[in-house]
Amino acid sequence: MKRYVLRRLLVAIPSLLIASLIVFSLPRLLPGDVVQLMLEEKAYGKDLDDLRAKLGLNRPMYIQYVEWLGQVARGDLGESLWTRRPVLEELTRRLPVSLELAVLSLSFAIVLALPIGVLAAVRQDSMADFVMRSLAILGLSVPGFWIATLCVLLPAIWWGWSPPIQFTAFSVSPWAHFGQFLLPAFILGIASAAAMMRLTRGTLLEVLRQDYVRTAWAKGLRERVVVVKHSLKNALIPVVTVLGIQVAQILGNTVIFENIFGLPGIGRFLFDAINQRDYPVIQGVNLLIVSVVVLMNLIVDAFYAFLDPRIRY
Amino acid sequence: MDQPASSLSRRDLLKLGGTALAVGSAASLGSPQPALAQTPKRGGTFRLRSHVAPLHFDPHQTIAFSTMIPLSFAYSRLVKVKGGSAVVPGTQPVENDLAESWERQGDTVYVFKLKKGVRWHNKPPVNGRELTAEDVRYTYERFLTIKGNPNRTVLGMVDKVEAPDKYTVKFTLSEPNAWFIDRLASTTTWIVARECVEQFGDLKKPESVVGTGPWMLQRYEPNVRISFARHPNYFVAGLPHADGVEITLSPDPAAGFAAFLSGEYDFGPEYGMVVRRSDLDVAQSRIKGLGTRDYIVLFGGYTSMKIDQEPFKDVRVRRAFAMAQDWHEVLETNAWSMGKGAPNPLIPATLKEWSIPIGQLPAEGRALYEFDPKAAKKLLAEAGHPNGIKVPIETTPGYGPDWMDAVQVALRNWKEAGIEGDLKLKEYGAFVTSAVFGKFDKMILTLRGLTTDPDNYFVQFMPGEPLNSSGVNDPKLTEMIKLQRRTFDEKKRRDIVWDIQRYVSQTVYYGYGPSVSAVGAWMPYVKNFGPNIGHDYGGRLMVAWLDK
Repeated sequence: MKRYVLRRLLVAIPSLLIASLIVFSLPRLLPGDVVQLMLEEKAYGKDLDDLRAKLGLNRPMYIQYVEWLGQVARGDLGESLWTRRPVLEELTRRLPVSLELAVLSLSFAIVLALPIGVLAAVRQDSMADFVMRSLAILGLSVPGFWIATLCVLLPAIWWGWSPPIQFTAFSVSPWAHFGQFLLPAFILGIASAAAMMRLTRGTLLEVLRQDYVRTAWAKGLRERVVVVKHSLKNALIPVVTVLGIQVAQILGNTVIFENIFGLPGIGRFLFDAINQRDYPVIQGVNLLIVSVVVLMNLIVDAFYAFLDPRIRY
Repeated sequence: MDQPASSLSRRDLLKLGGTALAVGSAASLGSPQPALAQTPKRGGTFRLRSHVAPLHFDPHQTIAFSTMIPLSFAYSRLVKVKGGSAVVPGTQPVENDLAESWERQGDTVYVFKLKKGVRWHNKPPVNGRELTAEDVRYTYERFLTIKGNPNRTVLGMVDKVEAPDKYTVKFTLSEPNAWFIDRLASTTTWIVARECVEQFGDLKKPESVVGTGPWMLQRYEPNVRISFARHPNYFVAGLPHADGVEITLSPDPAAGFAAFLSGEYDFGPEYGMVVRRSDLDVAQSRIKGLGTRDYIVLFGGYTSMKIDQEPFKDVRVRRAFAMAQDWHEVLETNAWSMGKGAPNPLIPATLKEWSIPIGQLPAEGRALYEFDPKAAKKLLAEAGHPNGIKVPIETTPGYGPDWMDAVQVALRNWKEAGIEGDLKLKEYGAFVTSAVFGKFDKMILTLRGLTTDPDNYFVQFMPGEPLNSSGVNDPKLTEMIKLQRRTFDEKKRRDIVWDIQRYVSQTVYYGYGPSVSAVGAWMPYVKNFGPNIGHDYGGRLMVAWLDK
């Protein structure tokens, strides 16, 4: 197992290198010049050149890349071109907000998807199954940002109440802090829950038709034991794989949800940075997201062995 | 068109409504509100929303309103635009701020006497010392010499700034400029402290925001909120009335409106403290006694064309484009205005003292504002395009969906006149760093309206200026622009400014779209507040109070 994890970590290095090249070059390929953006509509020739040199953007791209890579290896993600604040410091402050949102929404997704998926599989083709599958399709097809907008706007119009949209730090009020994540996390988790519910139902149905399950039924075991103890663990392997992918998806969606609910996470940071062509920030945030996704997939792979002891690394 | 505050009397209503209906009429909304007769109350915190966080806090490194609005609470200028419910939106009456008095000596020298006993905020590294003329001199020296100050042209006419004694500042201009005092009242000319620049290297960090303004920056939480606390030693006795100001940084417009409805903000949640007109009914039914006032915004679309190239070399083609654009329809399809607004000549209509009424333009100029696709078609035929023309048109969706609606209206209108617009959408960052500087193929549709100073709108006609995107080089026009700058008599200057607008309505170097009439909105317990154009939120709120 240890060797497997080490091997996977080594394989992750070239992945991260390729990702670093992409996150470095893509923002620079976007049309638009950060220096002209910084000087706005009154940009004049010499000022442009001076500022470009000051920011180190006048050097060839490959030199900038190698230098940035060296910095990253030393644990330094550079400074924001606009605020001159260290990117790592900004990320450290914002990442917990995004992670909190992501973890909560993933928890909601799991809590919703597993029991509903199991119930739908066990009661296949019943009314309950039909309703749950319909809800899942609805959850997949209705965009989360639309639900979020309605959840924010309609209570305000009807009752003059809106969910909290001003961020409260944990140190100020733990309950208010936790409370402000509930609604966005729940809505963000709906799509993931829908996808996972359908997968859970499908894979569980497949497992339930296998011989060893039929044997378990024949032995007279109770339904709960057959389903939970003998079937569910095997059915969960593809679900866990999808869970890894959902992390990436949820992290991507935080950009919109953090904007709607006023949460100062990395999503908003990235959104602003793209608009401002703040290259070090775009690179830093994307590299972080890539690293989290690589790490999550590694954890997911390692988790297979727990779910199915036949899997050996 | 203009709608008064809900607390106005019927007589006030008639007075306001009748005169304000005429686009560009100036003296309509000046009647003071009853709030002025009340005794101001001390205390409370103003709560506002900003949809965008400040880039940083250095006023000499950006023109962003997201920076200038927070700074308006903490800094002062030599002169400022008056605030209060009696001020007519769109007018910019200038009054003394740090200046006790000022006088012009000859055409190019201005001498300012400073108020005595003005204290900086009691924060390190300035620690509440007295403001002196040297601070003012230092500020303007930095303003004019620091690399990359995009606001430099605001005071580009200044040759020398001196501080002959502790309370006297002397400006020497390189050439006469009658707009100098208006320029000093702009929201870029905040007086900053040398100690802050020396300690922090620049003024970008929130810790470096130490001013002499009515409130002190207390706390900045990036992407969350900006909090200000009352400056206890503010140099105007009794002001400000409110103990604090809190700006919530919330980018989503729906969330902003929801929070306004639920009473979390004291002012309209959109830029300019307004609500969308399409949201007004809901807001008024939910918030009883909501204070509102209509005003024409500065922002408006404009068209820039390569006038040295075909087909725009021919003024008839340029005229045809303008005549085939229905400004009424643009306003009708806009959620902010829902049909209410004003057509713009060169100077935006909201700058009522300087913008020429459309009716005062020559016949050719007036015709540009009367949607007439048939006449436009005829003009195109006369210019050698009997079968119409196809033109690439560049713009950006980055200005938002309302803007794109206006673009679609323009394209459809043009089609009626035989003009096929080949729309090329550019990403916002790319567009604002290239197209507005003239880097486009044939034509762009874009927005203007960052500045409240009428003279700034002439920059687009000056040869060699980066913002002269149409490539205008008209010696007669250049001379007229320079002449108005040299004319100190306000009436004579206005005559020249109107003549310039008449002239460019005939040459059509640029086309101008309308500006919407926005609805400034505030909670019923906010008193003596008057919305206005520009970023000076601090100036407006300093004289307002909360009567809860």
